[in-house]
Amino acid sequence: MRRWIGPLAVLLLSAAGVHFAALELAPGVIMDRAMAKLAERGVGLHRFTAPQRITPQSQSVVRSSPDLYYALCRYDLSVPDKALALRMAAWRDYQSLSFFDARTDNFATLRGTGEAVEVRLLPPGSAPEEGAIVSPTARGVILIRRLAPDAESFAAAAKAGEGDRCAIEAARGG
Amino acid sequence: MMRRVLAYLAALVLGSAIGLGSALAMAGLWPSRGALAFGDVDVDGWRSDFAIGSEAADPYTRARVARHGLLALAKSEAVYFTRATDDAGRPLREGCRYRLSGGTMPAGWWSVTLYDARSMLADNTDGAASIDASRAGTGPWEALIADHRSTGAAHWISSRNAGTFDLTLRLYMPEPALLAQPSKTLVPPRVERLDCASEAAT
Repeated sequence: MRRWIGPLAVLLLSAAGVHFAALELAPGVIMDRAMAKLAERGVGLHRFTAPQRITPQSQSVVRSSPDLYYALCRYDLSVPDKALALRMAAWRDYQSLSFFDARTDNFATLRGTGEAVEVRLLPPGSAPEEGAIVSPTARGVILIRRLAPDAESFAAAAKAGEGDRCAIEAARGG
Repeated sequence: MMRRVLAYLAALVLGSAIGLGSALAMAGLWPSRGALAFGDVDVDGWRSDFAIGSEAADPYTRARVARHGLLALAKSEAVYFTRATDDAGRPLREGCRYRLSGGTMPAGWWSVTLYDARSMLADNTDGAASIDASRAGTGPWEALIADHRSTGAAHWISSRNAGTFDLTLRLYMPEPALLAQPSKTLVPPRVERLDCASEAAT
């Protein structure tokens, strides 16, 4: 019986270790795959996409809303002394600028109904600054949503979107 | 000696497999489960998971949310409810017509959208995948869910080519009371089955 104690201990330890390692790694792996898919679909690094209206023919992401305008920007702040300058141009109706880190957390959302929003995104570990958000991870995705439930309002939202900005720039004070 | 090494090796492989399988199963990642197979909130058959988008407390919820709620907003900005059955508990399907009805929602903007079993908009060119607050107006509203438009229906959501489908209710800018007490605050839309093609033929 005693000769089984060693293998049994290895079995239990490896089960527990792999169990928690898998849970810890899962969000990052899922987001990595999603980021790769977005890149394949032409979602650029440090620039917003020029979106198409969501229809059965144009949809590519599960459970997209046909009533919303979505513009995406991928970011990578692993390069030293860089930050991201963001601008969500004014829109007459509901709009939001939301930030997702490499573990899929929606770590910030700024609402901008009827007004433009400007903010800077700083790399992890940066000191807090006024008008800036510190990203928990170096990589992630930023998403603008605008309420645009018909073709006419979507065209107007796309026009407003020409004023959006997602650009890498030198970090201030660094 | 060889048998002993093999025993340890087998224990390591088996332990790793048990660890991986149990982690995926407990987080709802395996075996493959639909987007509806989770949720910590249920209001009259409409299910939601208020942990979506947030840094949830436990690793199981975190992994599950990463799988099913990718790029969805945290609950302070928007909450999402889904249902795949009518008010009598029968699966929603293309061959039947339904009356979707509701009133004012405790949110700044809302919409109800029809998705097929792949979580995609139904493959048709009807341009009628949803109803939202801007079209429904204030007060009570009704929409017909059917595979073709009927005269007399103020609003139509097309189920053409949807097969078995579900409905997602989006509530943007939710009122604090909705987040605190969803069951007491939200009166979700009703989904009443009117008739089915097979019933009409018999």
